[in-house]
Amino acid sequence: MNQFVYDIAIWLDDTAWSTLLHESYYMYNWVESTHVLTLILCLGMLFLIDLRMLGYALPNVPASNIANRLNIPMLVGFGIMIITGALLFYAVPVRSTQSVWFRVKMLLLVGCAINAYLFHKRMNESVSSWDNDARAPSRIRLGAILSLVFWSLVVICGRFIAYDWFDCEYTSVGSLSQVLSGCIDGQARF
Amino acid sequence: MSTSSTSILGTYTKTITVVALVLFLLVFSFSGLRRDIWLELYEFFLWLETTPFGLIGKTWGAVFAVVEAFHLLSMALLGGAVIVSDARLLGWVFTDIPVQEIQDKAHRVFVMGLIVVLATGVFMACGVAGKLYWLPVFWYKMLALATGIFFVFFIRKPMLKGDIDKINPTVVKLVAISSMLVWMTVAATGRWIGFAGS
Amino acid sequence: MTDKNTNSEKMDDVQMAAVAISATIIIFFVIYWSIQIQSVRDLLEMAYG
Repeated sequence: MNQFVYDIAIWLDDTAWSTLLHESYYMYNWVESTHVLTLILCLGMLFLIDLRMLGYALPNVPASNIANRLNIPMLVGFGIMIITGALLFYAVPVRSTQSVWFRVKMLLLVGCAINAYLFHKRMNESVSSWDNDARAPSRIRLGAILSLVFWSLVVICGRFIAYDWFDCEYTSVGSLSQVLSGCIDGQARF
Repeated sequence: MSTSSTSILGTYTKTITVVALVLFLLVFSFSGLRRDIWLELYEFFLWLETTPFGLIGKTWGAVFAVVEAFHLLSMALLGGAVIVSDARLLGWVFTDIPVQEIQDKAHRVFVMGLIVVLATGVFMACGVAGKLYWLPVFWYKMLALATGIFFVFFIRKPMLKGDIDKINPTVVKLVAISSMLVWMTVAATGRWIGFAGS
Repeated sequence: MTDKNTNSEKMDDVQMAAVAISATIIIFFVIYWSIQIQSVRDLLEMAYG
């Protein structure tokens, strides 16, 4: 499995565009900045929806109203983050696939997706009965809390990818971090 | 004579304050004053690195990174509140809900975000104070941040407190646009600090 | 009458201040970012010709 992921990463890394993007100071920074600043759009809206369900933000506005309106800018932001995130991965594929933080982040994103699906489903089933309540029912609140926690962890992991504490080249062979990062023996390619 | 001068200041306090501040900033920026004060501040920035915040930030990279992540998260919260309340002023969202309602509630979220952003920001600044001092982009960010805070609490909030129907709609839109621009600049210059250092 | 008058004057004050600071912000924004973009373009020109 690690070998397979590694081979794909090497193949991506060898493409000309990957090198161009990685070596280009301004383009890489530009993509990176867009990725980070779109947080405001994507997570800003998401947090407002979650905090509305918990009763902390805009409690007088109907819950479905908040969720439906803010969904659109949130998804636009999410789309931009996916595209810029994919580009960032494409610029540095080998190091990313062998980063424990990147791996945890991807798992957390799957968690976010499942949680979002369940949240949406539960909300659509029952929203008419509690739309005007300041606080949503406990099942919805749990979803909101999970969403806040998952996304916070995603941001923390994302931030950690930039640090090299557990990079394959700095950890000893056979150590736990090497196993989790899926370091291929002797590989220290950036 | 004296009554007329106080009444002018009394009636147009905010306008006079804004114009005076802008003039002061212009004089400050284009005279030797800026450089003099900047030179004076070096000691202070070096001292920041020796504070507990500075020491923690410099010693434990992991703590610094976690604080950075929370800085980003609270920035998302602050930015979300700014976008929602300004988009309402521009008539993009929640047009069926009174402006006042959105402004009041969004402002609370904004203040929560601002407090965390400032706290985590001060912590981070202490850790890398010696580097920040030399970065023009850092000072632009501080200028934009100060402008943003002043703008929100001195102009935007008091203006929207009153009857919104009585305010010129163009002024409302102008305020919404500049509010978005100023906070966008704060966020973007902040991101640029990271690149400028490397 | 006078009360109403002071109220509207107060509104004028806030609005005038709002216009002044908004204009400052927008002008500053345009100048700052165009200088930034220009300097990046200059640098790229120097690097790649």
